[in-house]
Amino acid sequence: MTSPFTFWDARTAEEAAALLSKKGAMALGGGVDLLGEMKEGIRAPEHIVNLRSIPGLDKIQKTDRGWRVGATALLTDIADHADLRKDLPGFAESAEAVATPQIRNQGTIGGNLAQRPRCWYYRAAEFACVKKGGKGCPAEKGENRYLAIFGDGPCHIVHPSDCAPMLVALDARLFLRGPDGARDLPIADFYELPSKNALCEFTLKPGEFIEAVEIPTALPRSTYVKIREKDSFDFAIAACAIAGKIDGDHFTDARVVLGGVAPVPWRSVTAEANLRKNTIADAVEPASNSATDGARPMSQNAWKIPMTKAAVARAIRSFLPR
Amino acid sequence: MRVVGRKVERKEGRAKVTGAARYVDDLRMPGMLIGRTVRAPIACGELVGIKTELGGPGFTTVDFCDIPGKNVVSLIAEDQPCLVEREIRHAEEPVFLIAHESREALLEARVSLECRPGVPVFDPLASPRSFKDILIEKGDVAKGFAEAALIVEGEYRAGLQEHVSIEPNGVIAWPENGGIAVLGSLQCPYYVHRALMTLLALPPEKVRVCQAETGGGFGGKEEYPSMLAGHAALLALKSKRPVKIVYDREEEMAATTKRHPAIVRHRTGVAKDGRLVAQDIEVILDGGAYVTLSPVVLSRACIHAAGPYRCANVRIRGRAMFTNTVPNGAFRGFGAPQTQFAGEAHMDRIAEALGEDPVKLRETNALRPGDTTATGQRMHDDCSALEVLREAVKRTRFPEKRWKWKGTGRGIGLALFYHGAGFTGSGEVKLASKAALELTERGARILTGTTEMGQGQRTTHAQIVAEELGWPYEAIEVAEVDTARVPDSGPTVASRTCMIVGGILQACAKELKAKLGRLTPRAYLKRNGPLVVTKSYEHPGDVAWNDETYRGDAYGTFAWGCEVAELNVDPDTYEARLTKFTAVVEIGKAIHPVLAAGQVEGGAAQGIGYALLEEAILRDGRMANASMTNYIIPTTVDTPTIETVILERPYRHGPFGAKGVGELPVDGAAPAIVNALRHAGADIRRIPATPERIMEALCASR
Amino acid sequence: MSASKPDGLSRRDFLGVTGALAGAGLLAGKSTAGDGDNRPAAGGLGPDPVKFGLRVNGKDHEVAAEPRATLLDVLRDSLDLTGAKKACDRGECGACTVLVDGKAVYACMMLALQARGREIRTVEGLAKGEDLHAVQAAFIEHDGYQCGFCTPGQVMATVALLEKTPSPSGDQIRAGLCGNLCRCAAYNRIFDAAAAASKAK
Repeated sequence: MTSPFTFWDARTAEEAAALLSKKGAMALGGGVDLLGEMKEGIRAPEHIVNLRSIPGLDKIQKTDRGWRVGATALLTDIADHADLRKDLPGFAESAEAVATPQIRNQGTIGGNLAQRPRCWYYRAAEFACVKKGGKGCPAEKGENRYLAIFGDGPCHIVHPSDCAPMLVALDARLFLRGPDGARDLPIADFYELPSKNALCEFTLKPGEFIEAVEIPTALPRSTYVKIREKDSFDFAIAACAIAGKIDGDHFTDARVVLGGVAPVPWRSVTAEANLRKNTIADAVEPASNSATDGARPMSQNAWKIPMTKAAVARAIRSFLPR
Repeated sequence: MRVVGRKVERKEGRAKVTGAARYVDDLRMPGMLIGRTVRAPIACGELVGIKTELGGPGFTTVDFCDIPGKNVVSLIAEDQPCLVEREIRHAEEPVFLIAHESREALLEARVSLECRPGVPVFDPLASPRSFKDILIEKGDVAKGFAEAALIVEGEYRAGLQEHVSIEPNGVIAWPENGGIAVLGSLQCPYYVHRALMTLLALPPEKVRVCQAETGGGFGGKEEYPSMLAGHAALLALKSKRPVKIVYDREEEMAATTKRHPAIVRHRTGVAKDGRLVAQDIEVILDGGAYVTLSPVVLSRACIHAAGPYRCANVRIRGRAMFTNTVPNGAFRGFGAPQTQFAGEAHMDRIAEALGEDPVKLRETNALRPGDTTATGQRMHDDCSALEVLREAVKRTRFPEKRWKWKGTGRGIGLALFYHGAGFTGSGEVKLASKAALELTERGARILTGTTEMGQGQRTTHAQIVAEELGWPYEAIEVAEVDTARVPDSGPTVASRTCMIVGGILQACAKELKAKLGRLTPRAYLKRNGPLVVTKSYEHPGDVAWNDETYRGDAYGTFAWGCEVAELNVDPDTYEARLTKFTAVVEIGKAIHPVLAAGQVEGGAAQGIGYALLEEAILRDGRMANASMTNYIIPTTVDTPTIETVILERPYRHGPFGAKGVGELPVDGAAPAIVNALRHAGADIRRIPATPERIMEALCASR
Repeated sequence: MSASKPDGLSRRDFLGVTGALAGAGLLAGKSTAGDGDNRPAAGGLGPDPVKFGLRVNGKDHEVAAEPRATLLDVLRDSLDLTGAKKACDRGECGACTVLVDGKAVYACMMLALQARGREIRTVEGLAKGEDLHAVQAAFIEHDGYQCGFCTPGQVMATVALLEKTPSPSGDQIRAGLCGNLCRCAAYNRIFDAAAAASKAK
């Protein structure tokens, strides 16, 4: 049972921004993540603003700049979109990698990108950890098996989204709407490390919400590889998104972004360099090995290093001719 | 046979697929309150005070002072209070109860507990207290070791497994006839009946316990409902209204019993030819904070610890240790999965040490008719260790794969195991279970105090009765379980429901048939009035056990199994992925082959989870991963195709030869998987074999 | 030394501590508009119970519920459609699976208000009188259940799968039903039932 709230159906993006400017207002997409937080008692909005009532906000369309996907587009519809998959295979794969069919049928892309972490301490109300405005991270001396190997704290959550690393790799832009109008930014800039803001993984001004994401088609080859403990429902232990261009047996352009190992989608520039300077076959080892350069595991999560390397290696191998 | 051994429709099949089946949370009563449990905030210490800020009217609150009888959850020992008085022994211990009409008001109410913390014990090896010590001795172990050409030692650890029945525990209690009535998701209504009599100081006729359709038990609804029903009953008696308590998933996972974590140490002497000449085994179970069922879990664990092997010199020592954690209790297999995991993993290490084939080692040592177990139980003709082993090896082309896959990252492993059906030792004699058959216009109605929870008792019992009477399956109905109407058939546990209670029903059917003579049911009822035949369990004269010396026939019989796991270890991620799982079982007689195979598949899958995925993680004595996202059970994509082969060697005292089947398949899955991992290069001695443990093992061997 | 827990009633009652400190929400940023404007403006629903319509199994119902009520709560408590079960209440198990506009969803993780104007189907709506739906009949035939508690969810997930993919491969069945847990592990039988029902059509 969640705390009580007032429910609003937004009719337009402008109206949604105005409603979201109310004190204690939160936006509702599919609601899977928000309801989870509310049921755990770690979130108690006074107003919930339904974005799915805005006509057209769920559109998936091709534009002259690439693909524009509205914030309330369902993950299922992204995964099932044949034309989009042709242009952006990795994006479709990342949407399909989310949880279960039911969650993909409810969950929106906006909600996926702005979902909150799954850290056991964060999700348990009795721990007033740094992410909830309290002090310190109980996981440092506690259960940190699933937590970050990158980022250096002070909070060690891993970003739970499957689509976010892929969209960072694809160099997507996020379109935000707020009471002062619209703005857009590279999706990589949307996410912030805990050292900058421990309370939240992303940056939104008061009243702002995600309206759409635009993905250029300049990187035609992409894939998303997710390693998890059980093969459905689960969040990534480690994931790797790669987007790039291939000429013959090598990448001419490549972006490698890791998921499930850092508080934000974690770009690996060294892996990218190794990927570009070798043939694809020869890049598997140096690129996957260098992907975890700089990782600083905690007491229980060093196993995520080989898992991360494995995800990168698998992702690269998927581009080899079969 | 016309009915037994055939596939008939489950009695409740239609209700289950249409949503018409009503489980406890689907039911409401007029004026019903919702109850909640306030639990201790610390794992060890003393309760100093309780402060309440209820925030409105309409609340009923209960503490231990409201208990009219004895403040205990009556089971083996009467040590566990229903509500804490002063001493707190674990972090989920119930202290205070509160009920209200509105769930929201209930959540908004504040109850603060003030406690003085003590120093908890979480490590069973560091615990100063044992709930129970067991010693089983056969022959002379020292002499055996002296004869041995080789001695192999090892320590094996099994984790804390949670039942995760999809339906959580739940009950509704209401005042009735100056006493109490309870309807709940239950395995053992008469356990609850007895516990409530003690707690409420009521005579038997003032306590009525009914079972709602039950959404899975696996042991998780064996002893715990006695606690929960007590709570609901106290609230109902005080408020004079019906009270429902249904646990949410977190409370269900964190606060209720789980499978005992185990540490099992083996020291085995082997002769040059592979014969086991000495087995010295130590079993340590983490019992948790109260005795609950630990002594009998330990007993079954120890009796099964030596495995289905002949060995002249055996010593098995067991202890169930106190810790400041939620009491561990019944879980499908009841101690046997822990010790047979250890024993079968150890057998493959012995084979490795001898440089011998694991199948041959088992063939050399497997029990045969005429051999005796560690307790001295002599095997009869239905001893099928060799048969299941040979069938499994043949079915899976085990030797070929074993040879071909060596060094490829693929692995195949097997486990040979057995499971005693029915209560251990003299347990069935002491239970003196009853069952009854009531003549109806259309046929007969079965009356038992054992319960349907998905395993198919309604169906198999009806088949046994129909077969014996020579009537159609449809002529047999099964009464709702209500202690005011059905006799005490003993608990629905220990793989005993079909074999033991089915046997009593068969005897009822024989008598009913004799009484009817040539009359139809309708004619009989018209001429003679109602007819109910009640029979009691009759212990076979050739099954004898000595409680003092722990020697003799521990069980009427054993069911036998050999499970084979085939898997890949991912070279990058170290995940073990099962490609095929084969279970060959010998269960006497499959009353309903499809249901029996379902039991085998289900048990195997729970064993697969136990082996690879599942572990409750305790943080300061409290479960840290108490959710279905963080405690992982197998999904559709993690569960391999499971091939079940059923062999039948009738048990002379079972109904139509049936033995027990429910628990057997859990015993072999973990060791089969661990042995397959060993074949793939990973020396695993601790389950679950998570990717990081497999990684460690593989890296250590490289 | 003394330790006390502010509330033993629920492990999740530290709302006062953490909720106030918590930052941004699902899609929206933290509001700093300190004008205290929390009065329900025109168009807002609740927080008290509101009346709204739901179309369930082809019938229109008017229900009254607080906006925080989930679709599962309203189906079970207001409409007495108790086939969908509350087993985890977190979208972790699938026992509450119902169809909304033909898509399988977790009713426990959807507000009832989110289902307004949409076609909701539950297990109770499948059979036509005594005639079972092909999927239900196949579950019985193949023993695709044991305890039955997850079964309504499994049946609905299978119906959704077969409506989207009428002739699924084995892998498609496993993937299509991966959002539904069965602890009795009747999985292999459920797959058989799904395959049989797909052929029965």
